[in-house]
Amino acid sequence: MKRHLAATLAIVLAAAAAASAQPPDNRRILTRGADEDGIAFRPFVMGTEQTFAAAHTFEAVFGRSHEPFFGGGLQVVKSRYFAEIVASRFRKTGQRAVLVNNEPFRLGLPLTAEITPFEVIGGYRFDLRPSQIIVPYAGAGIGTYAYKESSPSSDPDENIDTRHSGFVLMGGVEFRLHRWVRLGVDEQYTRVPGILGVAGISKAAAEDNLGGIAFRFKVVVGR
Amino acid sequence: MGSLRARFAWIALAIAAEVIATHGQSAVERHVIFQNVGLPAVDEGLIVDETHAPNTRETRKRAAIRAALTRQTGRPAVRCVPGRVVVKFREQATEDDRLSAVASVSRTATITPRPSYADFDLVSIDPAADTEAAAATLADLPAVEYAQASYAGWRTLMVPNDPLYATRQWNLPLINLERAWDLQPQAGSAITVAVLDTGVAYQNATLIENIPAFRDDDGNRYPALGRVTIPYAGAAQLMAPSRFVSPYDFIWNNAVPLDYDGHGTHVTGTIGQLTNDGIGTAGVAFNVKIMPVKVIDGVWDFLFGAPNIATDDVVARGIRYAADNGANIINMSIGRTGPPDSSAVIEGAIQYAVSKGVFFAIASGNGFEEGNPLEVIAEIASRVDGAVSVAAVDRNRAHAYYSTTGSYVELSAPGGSERGFGRDGFVFQQTFDFNFTDTFLLPPTQYTAPRFDVHAYIGYIGTSMATPHVAGVAAMMMQQGIKSPAAIEAVLKQTAVDLGTPGRDDTFGFGLVDARAALRGQGPAR
Repeated sequence: MKRHLAATLAIVLAAAAAASAQPPDNRRILTRGADEDGIAFRPFVMGTEQTFAAAHTFEAVFGRSHEPFFGGGLQVVKSRYFAEIVASRFRKTGQRAVLVNNEPFRLGLPLTAEITPFEVIGGYRFDLRPSQIIVPYAGAGIGTYAYKESSPSSDPDENIDTRHSGFVLMGGVEFRLHRWVRLGVDEQYTRVPGILGVAGISKAAAEDNLGGIAFRFKVVVGR
Repeated sequence: MGSLRARFAWIALAIAAEVIATHGQSAVERHVIFQNVGLPAVDEGLIVDETHAPNTRETRKRAAIRAALTRQTGRPAVRCVPGRVVVKFREQATEDDRLSAVASVSRTATITPRPSYADFDLVSIDPAADTEAAAATLADLPAVEYAQASYAGWRTLMVPNDPLYATRQWNLPLINLERAWDLQPQAGSAITVAVLDTGVAYQNATLIENIPAFRDDDGNRYPALGRVTIPYAGAAQLMAPSRFVSPYDFIWNNAVPLDYDGHGTHVTGTIGQLTNDGIGTAGVAFNVKIMPVKVIDGVWDFLFGAPNIATDDVVARGIRYAADNGANIINMSIGRTGPPDSSAVIEGAIQYAVSKGVFFAIASGNGFEEGNPLEVIAEIASRVDGAVSVAAVDRNRAHAYYSTTGSYVELSAPGGSERGFGRDGFVFQQTFDFNFTDTFLLPPTQYTAPRFDVHAYIGYIGTSMATPHVAGVAAMMMQQGIKSPAAIEAVLKQTAVDLGTPGRDDTFGFGLVDARAALRGQGPAR
């Protein structure tokens, strides 16, 4: 958590410093796009490093509590507002385990977990200065989260294939790298109740949130 | 007929060897074991008509003969050994403190040389003195951590009878074992299970014994059999290369813990009978290494002249020996009831072993219909994370009629019951055909020397039989990666199938052990 907060702070400070250093000519050019065209449609690809809120649960199975997600989506920008739909996926094979007094014992039996979030987020792009070479943004949204858990040592009815909804809060900064390419860096908090905490290791660990805090990198194409 | 001739010839050779071995000796040894000299066992296969069950005529007779032998041999009465007090001095106590403490009990009291595998001392006092009073006096002294009498009354917690996996071993599927074997086909190959019991039939041997006369509880005189050669064979379905590690006999003070009773061999079979070999019965963790540690004496140990009987200090030394020699699991299908309702020396030994990473499965007792007395060792188990007390269920998962109940019952496993099931209700494993071993159950005119080379698949019932199921599953769990004894206990309890009153209860504890669930562990969400 501290790492993520520090990273966010660094991004915001860097963004502010960079924004103040932009020459006036560039600022005018960069204000085009959404303003001039009305609505901009900007597809993006994304890589995420998520620190799971259910840290004990994921450490027991995978040996660590942070894992990468990969995905993409489409961002729609209108003036200072934006909306985006995002789909991503995490899939990894670890080991079945038991958790006793928060001490994990991994059992050598393979277990594959797969999380597929589909999120819709709306937000606001801040205009720090007349220039928009660096644009801080913040948003909130909802998502539906598919979760699959399967193991060769399980009967079919012992595997899990379920979907629950959750919500998202996010904030970050977008950098213009090229006329058509932007880099978005943001932090995202998700809360996804209803999947964990009912049974399994998460119940033993008293952890009920499948979400967590994600550090996202987005490469956005479009003006 | 040919094999009979060969058998007689072999015995004749053994006698000749014994004559050679003893030639020129001024005093003939009473108990001689020629290890690995002997033929393999006669395998009688399944015998369903011989039963070992609690409170049967045979069981009562064995106990009565044991009591009669005790009286005749001048051995200690069942309560505690006269003239011996078990004392643990505090570490900071000086030699003078210790001598002073002992002198305060009696001017003739002495500290005997500390026995092996003991963190306690044995204080020798006048055999006519009250050992419990002496222990109480010592316990009150500042230099003493604890003191207790050397309590006897130890016994095995079984009840025997009849065989074979598909047709007889209802007990293994009852704990969901087939699917546990799917998860772990190696079945505990890296784990050592110490069996603290009456010994194990783990090798072939020839015994030379001098058997004295005795009277049974009815006063019938059984004649002296003199010096006899007794064939002994290991249980073929236990014996595999490198199977047995660090055997030791605390009843005979030697490294040959042969079973002269059959109980320890039967219990060991449930833990690790060779399996999937197309012969006989199956065991739970059929590839484990076995450490036979003999701490319980039987009738033949008495008659053969064993120097020790099962007492708290003997069993405690057995526990420490197993822990110090690499045991991962200790199975104790044994116990004793109070008073006293505690045993500091046993509790200390169990705590010591658990601290070294050893998990315990301990029988919870067979006395439900005999006043349901507190089982002292099972009660200790309930207070130690890493040791569990095991009650028994029948093949319908119902409370076995003999299985002791109480707040200390932690888990249940198949112990069997003949009530409602007849011979189909027993737990079968390979052990001695006791028609050839328990000849003291016959009238004096038919009484002969025993033979320990005739084996069969015999059914027993008791919490003794339930306990090795848990020890075997624990061995597989440890191999699977759950190294902590406390964690094994926690997982066994979490994954047990709840029986009786919802939640833990005094009859079934947390429920019936589920081997698959315990081994399979969990995923994040299920």
